[in-house]
Amino acid sequence: MAFDAEKEITSLWRAFHGVQDDQRRTFYQWRQAALELLGDKADPMEVADKAWEVIGIDTAKSYFPRTNLSKPNWLQSLASNIVATWMMRGAKIHMEKGENDNEVFIIWDRCPYPTTAKSYGASMEEDLAGCNRGLEVIVEQLAAFTNKKLKIETTKAIPKGEGACVRRLWVEE
Amino acid sequence: MKSKYFDEWRAKYETMPGAKKYPHVFSPITIGKLEIPCRIKYAATEDNLNTHDGYITKEDIAYMAARAKGVAGGICTMQGVTTDELKMGQGYKGQACAADRKFLPGLTEMANAIKEQKAVSNYQLMHCGRVGGHWAKKAEGPSAVPQRLRLFEPVEEMSHARILECIDQHAFSAELGVEAGFEIMEISGIVGYLLSNYLNTYTNRRTDEYGGDTVEKRFKFVGDIIRKVKAAIPEDMPLIIRLCAWEQLDDVNGNTMEESLKTYLMANEAGCDSISITVGWQESTVPVISRDVDQGSWLWVPKKAKEFGLKAPVSMAYRLFKAEMADKAIADGVIDYWENCRPQIADPLMPLKFLEGREEDIRWCVACNVCLARLFRDAPMTCYINPTCAHESQPDWYPENVHTDDPKSIWVVGAGVAGLEAAWTAAERGHKVTVFDKNAEAGGTLLDARQAPYNDYELYDVTTHFGLAQCQKRGVEFKYNTEVTADMIADELPDAVVIATGAEYSKPAAWEGENIISLHEAINDLKPVGDNVVVWGNKKPAIGCALALAKKGKKVTIVGEEKTTGKDINPSFRWRYAIFLAQNGVKVYSDATIKEIGDGEAIVRYYDGVKFPVKADTIVYAERVSNNALKEACQENGIEFRLIGDAATPRGVSGAVHDGYKTGLRI
Repeated sequence: MAFDAEKEITSLWRAFHGVQDDQRRTFYQWRQAALELLGDKADPMEVADKAWEVIGIDTAKSYFPRTNLSKPNWLQSLASNIVATWMMRGAKIHMEKGENDNEVFIIWDRCPYPTTAKSYGASMEEDLAGCNRGLEVIVEQLAAFTNKKLKIETTKAIPKGEGACVRRLWVEE
Repeated sequence: MKSKYFDEWRAKYETMPGAKKYPHVFSPITIGKLEIPCRIKYAATEDNLNTHDGYITKEDIAYMAARAKGVAGGICTMQGVTTDELKMGQGYKGQACAADRKFLPGLTEMANAIKEQKAVSNYQLMHCGRVGGHWAKKAEGPSAVPQRLRLFEPVEEMSHARILECIDQHAFSAELGVEAGFEIMEISGIVGYLLSNYLNTYTNRRTDEYGGDTVEKRFKFVGDIIRKVKAAIPEDMPLIIRLCAWEQLDDVNGNTMEESLKTYLMANEAGCDSISITVGWQESTVPVISRDVDQGSWLWVPKKAKEFGLKAPVSMAYRLFKAEMADKAIADGVIDYWENCRPQIADPLMPLKFLEGREEDIRWCVACNVCLARLFRDAPMTCYINPTCAHESQPDWYPENVHTDDPKSIWVVGAGVAGLEAAWTAAERGHKVTVFDKNAEAGGTLLDARQAPYNDYELYDVTTHFGLAQCQKRGVEFKYNTEVTADMIADELPDAVVIATGAEYSKPAAWEGENIISLHEAINDLKPVGDNVVVWGNKKPAIGCALALAKKGKKVTIVGEEKTTGKDINPSFRWRYAIFLAQNGVKVYSDATIKEIGDGEAIVRYYDGVKFPVKADTIVYAERVSNNALKEACQENGIEFRLIGDAATPRGVSGAVHDGYKTGLRI
C-alpha cells in the first residue's frame, strides 16, 4: 500500500500548529471577554496576573506525577517539563545545564505569544508579566510539593526586544 | 474655453517627435467646456508626504510639480483631499485635508505649483469610506459591514444627519478647491472609498432612501454629492468622477458589471462631464495592476462602458503604460484620454519623454506596488525603481545638480542593475566610468530572473535597457567578457572601484552529487532536471525558479529557512506569488532546512524538529551569497571602493537600483 509520509506528517504538523494558534487566540479572547465585563474597572495587568496564576497552578499539577527527587537530575527533568509545555504552546525552546545540578537555564529562542498579544492589543509589559507569573506559580507549586527552595528568574525577554527569553531555574542552598 | 496654455502647447507639439508618433495622445480634447491640449492625465494617488493633520508640505508640492511637468500640458491631479476634519474620511497617514479654510494656503500653493508647469490642475475630493478612519480608528459607511482585511478600521453606520453633513462637506471642500485656483474638479468613488460603498450591494444594506435593492436607489448618495458639488463650482469648470466599472466582488455579492455601468450613465446624467474608469476594490481578490496582469488587459472595460451607452469622455489607467497602446485605444475610440498613475511615480516625466522622443530615457514602472504597500503601512511614498521618488524637493538628489570638481577614473565591476545605475549617475556628475562584466551582455542576475513567468522579464527589460541607454548617452565605456581580477586592479590602479559583482548561488558544503545544481544551471537548461525537484531557498529567486520549472511540468517543492516565503517581495505583491505557487502545484516549506539528501528524496526538517521526506530527483540551490572578492584587492591597494547591490548583501532589484544610484551620486 502506498504511503505518502510527506503528506501524512505535514498534514499533522499543520493541524498541530493550527491548534496551537487557536489555543493562543482563545486565551486572548477570554482576556477580552473579562476586560469587557469589567468595564471601566478593568486592569489588563490584573486580569493577566490572575489568568496566569490559574494556568500555573494547573500546569504544575501535571508535573507532580512525573517528579522524582531520587534522581540526581530531577531539576533538569523538571525543566524539561517546562520546555515540553512551551513547545506545545508553539515556542522554540531548549534547556541548558547550569554550573551544577542545582541550576538550569531555559531558553526561548522563539515564542509566538508576543505577536498574538499585539494583535489583541495587549502590551508587551503585560505579556512578559503574565508569562513570568505563570512560571513563578509553577515553581512555587513545585517548591511546595518537593519541599525544595526552588527559584526562577528571567534574565532576558523577547517582549523587551532582547531576542530570546532566558530563565534561570535553581535550587537555593 | 481653452485651458490657459492650450495654444502654447499646441504650437510646441508641432515641433515635437512624440506628437507625430502618437498623434491621438497629443490631440486636443474638450472635457465639459474646457479644452485641454493633449489627452494625458496624471491620476491622483496618495503619497503620505503631508502632515498628519492634513496640511500640504513642500515635499508634496515638489512631488506634484514634477508630475505636472511630466504631463506635457495635460491634466495633473493632486492627491484626493479628505473632506471632514474628524478624519473619518482619511485613509492615509499623510492625506491632505480640505475641511476648513485653514487648509486654503497649502491648496493654493499646490494649484499654483501645477499651473506653473503649464499643466491643467485637477483637484480631487476623496472620502475613503471603509478604507478611511486612519487616525479616528473607526471608519464610516452606509452600513456597518465588517472589514474583510484586518488592515482597515471597523465601520460605523452613518446616520441620516451625518449623510447630509457629509454631502455638505464635499460641497465645502469643492468650493475651497475652486478658491485655491484649481481648474478641474474630480470626485473619487473607487476601490472601496465612500461613494463606492454606497453604490455597492455588499457594503450598502440600508433600507432608507440612501439604500435599496437597485443600483438606482443606492446611487442617491452619489447623485446628491455630484449635484451639490456641481452647484458649488463655476458653471464652466469640468467635473470628473472616478467610478468602478467592475468591482470584482462577486464572491461577496457585490454589484454586477451591468449595475456598475449604470452608475456611469447616472453620474453623467447628474452632472459629471467625464468618467475615469477603474477596476477592482482593495477588498477584491483579483489582481488588477500588478505586473502579472498584461499591459492593456483592461481596455475591454471602457469599450464595454461605451457600448453600454456612455457618451461622456472616458479615461482609464490600469496597466496602460505604453503610449502606442494608449494612442491606438484613443484612435479606436476605446478611451478618450490616457490616464496614468504608477508609471509617473516611477518616472514623473514619462509622457513628456514620449513627446520629446526620449523613450529610452523612461524609467518604466515594474508594477510591483511597493508604492501602495508603503502607503498602507503609514510610510511615505517610495518607488522600487525610482530612487528620486519623494525626494523631488532635494536638488542634491539629482546627479545633474552635483557635478564633481574632482573627476575620477572609476571602474564599475558588474553590469547588472546596481552597476549600470552607479555608472550612469557617476558619469553624469563628470567622472570617467568604465563598466566591466565577465558576461557578454549586461543584466547580471536578471539574466536568470527574466526567465521566470508572470512578466518577470519586465524587471530585466526596464532596468537593463534604461541603464544601458543612460550609460551610452554619457560616454560610459563597456568591457564585456572581462573578469576583473585583483591583479588588474593592482596593475592599473583606478581612482575608485564600484564592486557590483552581485551574488553567487550557494549550497551547504556537505551537499554533493550530480543531481544538485544551481538555479542558473536549472533555469537555463544547462544540466538535466528530474521530474521531482526541491528548490533550496525561499526568497524571490527561488520562487521565480520554482515557477519556471513548474511551468515546464516539474513537480516542485520549495524549502527555505526564512519564516515567510518571499520575504524579500513587498507585501502588496507577495500575495500574488503565494497564489501563483498554489496554482502551479508548488509545495512550500518555510522555516525549514534540508537535513539530508538521499536517493530520490530529501529529508526536510522544520524549525521545531519535525522531519519528513520529500521526493527529489534534483535539488536546485537558489540561496545566494555576496560576491565581494575584489574588496580586499581595493583595500590592499588603498583604492576607494563601494560595495553595492547584491555584492553588499543579496536583495531584490530595488536595493540594487537605489544602491547604485546613491553610490553614483556620492562617489
